[in-house]
Amino acid sequence: MRYVLRRLGFYLLAAWASLTMNFVIPRLAPGDPATAMFARFEGRISPEALVALKTAFGFTDAPWHVQYFTYLKHLLTGDFGLSYAYYPSPVTEVIGTGLLWTLGLAGCAVIISFAVGTMLGVLAAWNRGGWLDSALAPALAFLGAFPYFWLAMLALYLFGFGLGWFPLRHAYSHDVEPGATLTFIADVGRHAVLPAASIVVATLGGWMLSMRNTMVAVLGTDTLRLAHAKGLPPRQVMLRYAARNALLPNVTGFGMALGFVLSGSLLTEIVFSYPGTGYLLILAVRNQDYPLMQGLFLVITLAVLAANFAVDLLCLWLDPRTRAHA
Amino acid sequence: MRETLRRLLRQRKAAVGGTLLLGFLLVALVGPWFVMDPTELMGQPHQPPSSAHWFGTTGQGQDVLAQTVVGARETLAIGFAVGALVTLVGALVGITAGYLGRRVDDALTLTTNIFLVIPGLPLAIVLGAYLPSGPFRMVVVLTFAGWAWNARVFRAEALALRGRDFVAAAVVAGESHARIITRELLPNMASLVASSFIGNTLYAVGAQVGLEFLGLGDVGAVTWGTNLYWAGNDAALLTRSWWIFVPTGICIALVGFSLTLLSSAIDELTNPSLRAPPKAPKAAVMRAVATPAQEAAAPGALLSVRDLCIEYMTQAGPSRVVDQVSLDIAPGEVFGLAGESGSGKSTLGYALLRLLPSSAAITQGSIVFDGTDVTALSPEALRAFRWSRVSMVFQSAMSALNPVLTLGEQFHDTLAAHGGASRASSYARGRELLAMVGLKPELVNAWPHQLSGGMRQRVGIALALALEPRLVVMDEPTTALDVVVQKELLQRVLELKERLGFAVLFITHDLPLLLALSDRVGILQAGKLVEVDTAQRLRTDARHPYTRLLLSSFPHLGATDTQAPTPDVLEQAASALKPPLAALPGGRR
Repeated sequence: MRYVLRRLGFYLLAAWASLTMNFVIPRLAPGDPATAMFARFEGRISPEALVALKTAFGFTDAPWHVQYFTYLKHLLTGDFGLSYAYYPSPVTEVIGTGLLWTLGLAGCAVIISFAVGTMLGVLAAWNRGGWLDSALAPALAFLGAFPYFWLAMLALYLFGFGLGWFPLRHAYSHDVEPGATLTFIADVGRHAVLPAASIVVATLGGWMLSMRNTMVAVLGTDTLRLAHAKGLPPRQVMLRYAARNALLPNVTGFGMALGFVLSGSLLTEIVFSYPGTGYLLILAVRNQDYPLMQGLFLVITLAVLAANFAVDLLCLWLDPRTRAHA
Repeated sequence: MRETLRRLLRQRKAAVGGTLLLGFLLVALVGPWFVMDPTELMGQPHQPPSSAHWFGTTGQGQDVLAQTVVGARETLAIGFAVGALVTLVGALVGITAGYLGRRVDDALTLTTNIFLVIPGLPLAIVLGAYLPSGPFRMVVVLTFAGWAWNARVFRAEALALRGRDFVAAAVVAGESHARIITRELLPNMASLVASSFIGNTLYAVGAQVGLEFLGLGDVGAVTWGTNLYWAGNDAALLTRSWWIFVPTGICIALVGFSLTLLSSAIDELTNPSLRAPPKAPKAAVMRAVATPAQEAAAPGALLSVRDLCIEYMTQAGPSRVVDQVSLDIAPGEVFGLAGESGSGKSTLGYALLRLLPSSAAITQGSIVFDGTDVTALSPEALRAFRWSRVSMVFQSAMSALNPVLTLGEQFHDTLAAHGGASRASSYARGRELLAMVGLKPELVNAWPHQLSGGMRQRVGIALALALEPRLVVMDEPTTALDVVVQKELLQRVLELKERLGFAVLFITHDLPLLLALSDRVGILQAGKLVEVDTAQRLRTDARHPYTRLLLSSFPHLGATDTQAPTPDVLEQAASALKPPLAALPGGRR
């Protein structure tokens, strides 16, 4: 329990640090872009709304610490201001649906990729020097060197535009009514195949290589020698002894790579005009929609922190040693 | 340093990666002088590759080849600049934290960890959106978003080095912090600096391309990322103009791949175990030599090893670690195998269960256990043979137990692998075995980390006896334990041996201990069994000079000293044993 609380404290601290960066960066930037941003709202919204927006961001004439607490207060009540690009929708509303799509797409892709990559890594290490190890691993490493979004472009070009197997853009067809119907779910699935597959292909090699390397290290330990000496069946030695012990450091690495992978999948969304947070991010950048951009930064960061906490809990469950100190 | 460089070049990965990267650097440096102006509208838009435009034209009619070549320059320049800067910042923060320690370390490590969990791209976007556009912005943003990983790696390295003697000596000598860091720490981090720089450049190129694709670069400049940005904006996909985005993507991947190859080559250099192991020596000659030797197996012996040769494949060729060893062990006998480290005694022990690493092989000789030729067993027969006939106690039983399984599970998988015991019966047997080695039966539900080293070693022994094997190989089972625990443990082993009647091959460098414990002792020197005799006779009149040297190297035990210096309990335990079958034919000499 103490371990859990300590990790939780750490993530709260990290969340606070990103909130604060979000507050500080616009104020330190040269050329006062914040003022320029509000100037862009001028004429589009009423003066009262502009004042409210400035207050939400803490941009008042008050001293900075008062601004800071006003800003924190607004965030805590879920007030991220109004989006410029989607005026007059509040930022929270714009991000809300986007986040669901991103979590669905990136979440599935990352979990599939990690599971398959880890399994491949286990097999590559177990049959060291075999074809998995000497042919597939370098091939996947080469694929991993392409930017995710470029692989997405290629996949879209070949299987979308070229062969016409998959839809070209968006998360579902405009003529399908969203709802808990089989048609809708199948349609969403069909739209997700290409973006998810390009994320999986781009990341598979990384997971495979890291699992392979930790597993190679585990294979040299006395734990493995004892397992062989005991006359256990090879499959059991591979899975219950080698893979199980190699999984721990790999899951920790998974947590650390999560932010990086998410960044890549955000760019993938743009290629497919997938209505997730990545697509919103580029809209925000192109329209200089600072409220939306900052809201996205916060929400994505909080999501990654939450995922990291989940990974910590998973490690706790996997490792009796940490459990003992928890 | 030069030697390291030479070895690096000899590696194929490093050679391929280095050549690729140098090629791109060359293109980036001189290429732009040989191609058209990449921003000029040179022809019709969306034209496929032709003799006029080898890579075709963009959606606006610019030359794609020119854009790809010119794009290399700024992309690589920024990549390497960010790579260097991130390495510098990371090293500075990491080394400061690791070297100074305490409060400074706490604060810096916390900051580092926070930056590690904040996703880089959104952070870079928020920062980038507020800074004036240009290459400078890209460098600042990418460094700010990417330094943390390095700081973590360098901190760990600094911590490790700080504990080393030469740094401690410099501290005692009163050298200044700055001098210690620059003169003692940094030179020892050369390979880490190199691999970090490469890894950071890889990150920088990828992140830069991503941000530019988003439109956060200078969209007027020609870089690989902006090329892709314009490809997306000018409907390269819609117009089926694959040539606009494919060349740039392949260039990015090739640069990334060359960097990956280089960093993996450096990794393998510092950690050779990652490379595929050398193939084990062939055992083709084995059968021919083994057949006549087998006939010489002593009647009544439990184990007969004849002319056993084991070779390791090393970089310098095969190396013979066990050389023509022959020995016999009688049922119920304690056979001691002594020798200094590297004499091949553990290798011999592992060979009895065919547990040699893949780089080693039995090239000659035979191992016959109770009528079974161990060297000829099929994989499945070998699996059944292991542990049920011959089991083993490892020196490191404390680290050999599986840390993620309870003791009960580890008893269960062993018993289940040899005849499908139910979980309940396995746990019951586990309790019984734990009690037998003097542990609480409830510990069957404990995890290895909850036990002390001595307790884990007892578990190792309990595990070794689970299937009531006729021979237990004990490889330095007590070396890592303190004297009191060692004494208790050995006494327990001898009692159990009396009760259950198994034979023991006891391997250690501790000759006095062996003499007190064993019925017969074999002395192994550089892979050869130089002398085999009863413990009693070895103590008084060892014939081989090496044995005498070993004996005299223990202060209390001259060749004429009949009084063994080992603890009384052992002495009593040993003398209580009837010397069984001491007359079995021994080693070659």
